[in-house]
Amino acid sequence: MNNLAHISEQRDFVVSSSSLKDVRSFSREVFEKVNINQDLKDELVLAIAEAAQNIVKHAYQGEDTEDKMEIKISLSNGNLEIGFFDKGRPVEKDKIRHRKIDDIKPGGLGTFFIQQIMDAVVFKEGEKPWINHLILSKKIDY
Amino acid sequence: MSYKVTEEGEISIVHLDGEIDMDVTEKAKEVIMPLIEAKKEVHLNLKEVQYMDSSGISVLIESHQKATELGTKVILKDISKSVLKVIMMAKLEQILNLG
Repeated sequence: MNNLAHISEQRDFVVSSSSLKDVRSFSREVFEKVNINQDLKDELVLAIAEAAQNIVKHAYQGEDTEDKMEIKISLSNGNLEIGFFDKGRPVEKDKIRHRKIDDIKPGGLGTFFIQQIMDAVVFKEGEKPWINHLILSKKIDY
Repeated sequence: MSYKVTEEGEISIVHLDGEIDMDVTEKAKEVIMPLIEAKKEVHLNLKEVQYMDSSGISVLIESHQKATELGTKVILKDISKSVLKVIMMAKLEQILNLG
């Protein structure tokens, strides 16, 4: 395993639930290059997969599409930044809620996981051709 | 994801295998829900589940709730380390039946 100080890798995926395993494989490949513990790697893969799932579920509302989403993983001097770009419906930030801890029902868990795992979650308007740009960031000690 | 269902008296044991994400949750529900609706006690063996995301956790919650509603129960057995971690992250270890 290397201990790279700088990583910047990106990949496109068709917006589909069937792409989620490829999103996980890509994320695992990238984090294999970084000397961080396996638990943290697993958490980061989960956060990335949940964010990609949210694009499929919410930005495209599960509709079939040939559109692609782009995921870019960057690590520089311990600052991990993961960018998600899509051309789906604009995210309505006010409507994003994660599940309350005592609210036992399916749904809203993905955003809850992302917020537990990452230090910051920022939604931005995407620059053309993208509509949405989500940035997940976390300080990594390695 | 693959699965195998075995019966031991009134208990149905569902052995799940692989990764459980949004892409396979409908398939998982198609296997589990009819057993609950038949009022069987259902044991979900999660030993060979290497990955579960929020969609998979939602299946566990829905199964638990349906079973409670129908007066039976779903018990999670041999939970893999990675699945247990996600259950705990969701703060469900006191809600779901972990056997």
